[in-house]
Amino acid sequence: MISYKKVYTIYDDDFMALNGVNLDIKAGEFVSLVGPSGAGKSTLLRLLTREITPNEGEVCLDGINLASLSASDIPLLRRKIGTIFQDFKLLSNKNAFENVAFALEVCGAPLEEIEADVPKVLSIVGLAKKINSFPHQMSGGEKQRLAIARALIHRPKIILADEPTGNLDMVNSYDVVKLLLKINELGTTVILATHNREIVNSVGRRVISMEKGKIVRDQVEEGKYII
Amino acid sequence: MKESLKRIWKAGWLNFQRNSYLSFGSTGVLVLVLLLFSALMAINFLSVKIVTSIQEKIDVTAYFKVEASEDEIMRVREDLTDHSEVKNIEYISRDQALEEFRSLHAGDVLIQDSLAELDENPLQASLNIKATDPSEYASIVTFLEGNKFRTLIDKINFYENEQVISRVQGISGGIQNWGVILTMAMALIAVLVTFNTIRLTIYNQKQEIEIMRLVGGSNWHIRAPYLVEGGLYGIFAAAVTLIIFYPVVYLISPKVEVLMPNANLIGYFSSNALQYIGMVLIVGVMLGVVSSAIAIRRFLKV
Repeated sequence: MISYKKVYTIYDDDFMALNGVNLDIKAGEFVSLVGPSGAGKSTLLRLLTREITPNEGEVCLDGINLASLSASDIPLLRRKIGTIFQDFKLLSNKNAFENVAFALEVCGAPLEEIEADVPKVLSIVGLAKKINSFPHQMSGGEKQRLAIARALIHRPKIILADEPTGNLDMVNSYDVVKLLLKINELGTTVILATHNREIVNSVGRRVISMEKGKIVRDQVEEGKYII
Repeated sequence: MKESLKRIWKAGWLNFQRNSYLSFGSTGVLVLVLLLFSALMAINFLSVKIVTSIQEKIDVTAYFKVEASEDEIMRVREDLTDHSEVKNIEYISRDQALEEFRSLHAGDVLIQDSLAELDENPLQASLNIKATDPSEYASIVTFLEGNKFRTLIDKINFYENEQVISRVQGISGGIQNWGVILTMAMALIAVLVTFNTIRLTIYNQKQEIEIMRLVGGSNWHIRAPYLVEGGLYGIFAAAVTLIIFYPVVYLISPKVEVLMPNANLIGYFSSNALQYIGMVLIVGVMLGVVSSAIAIRRFLKV
């Protein structure tokens, strides 16, 4: 479903973030991307949401070269991909319901759809009782689950999680990962970028190790965090 | 679609409200531009009035030598009547001229005495010609100059008025040119200030914009609220301008009328109220939206 072909990415400051990456990810996989900071994990994810385009090579989703998308197609691509970040990226002046609803509103969804879907997705992530709470009234784990709810609202085919446990303690981290595994079981492809060794080892799925913009190891099954 | 428009409008309105101090600045500068623009319209109206009132007073008068017979003068008159640009010709005989002169200076003993001293009527017969259009006077004069009875004509009185007209036109043209330049300069400043306000809004909402992009918000949904915000500055500026402009016109209109009896400023702006209000609104909204569009292009990556 996702394929990177000889991808090179060089940032404006001449930093080579990706150095000839070849990678294929099948639909329904759970992939852990590991490696030290600056290894190119986030760059790999940003290419997929078309925030950047590669300097060389191709990034394809369902056989379509993402570089060929027009400006008006990019929002449609992003609706197919849910994203989760270390810093949650929630709107502090909106409550849980409004934060998730916002994702539907800016895509022009009708009011009835918003009112029906948002409570459902909040109960999937276990926040049914926090529907009216604001981010500052929630724990770190709850905030991240809210972010996941928002990522799920478009029923995406892919979830990209960039260091989702970076700001969480162990218990909350495991909760979030369990939720991601549950989402994966329902058929969504999950790509988890992290340098949390315990988490990766507990997941036990495909693990791709990166270093200096290159893939140095690809353990297809029962992968472990090895650097 | 309706739902989307409602959301965009609401988001734009919120931006406008939250930016209260900055909004105040942008609206203020836009108000100045619109007031200048309105003043320019008023000046234009007044100068047109001045020019037409002077033009109404212009005529060409051909004074005939004393030896010209009434018959000959009538032939000149007939020749002139054939011209389409001639609106009206008035013949003033020597006797009439003397009569008028006497009654004009009825109280002046010296003049009356001097006239009594004279054996003969010293005044000349004349033809007073009005043209349909002020620009036609030159051709009427040329015609008179080339007429076969030219030798009977003593002098043709026209050139002095022409100078007055061209001076008034020159002054009003100058005022208008400078007015346009000033309005343009102010408009540029207004665009810059509004542009900066929108830029700050965009900067303040970096996080919201990032999230909108992240969740696949359409480009239109991300950009349009800022255009609405820019447009709102224009609408508010137009409203403030009208609130200031009409009372001011109402107050100064009688004073202007003392100087120029046929220039009814308040009447002009009341009878053309719809066009004027529409124009101020359109100019205001255009300035706001254009500034916003520049800021979006420059700072809002989608």
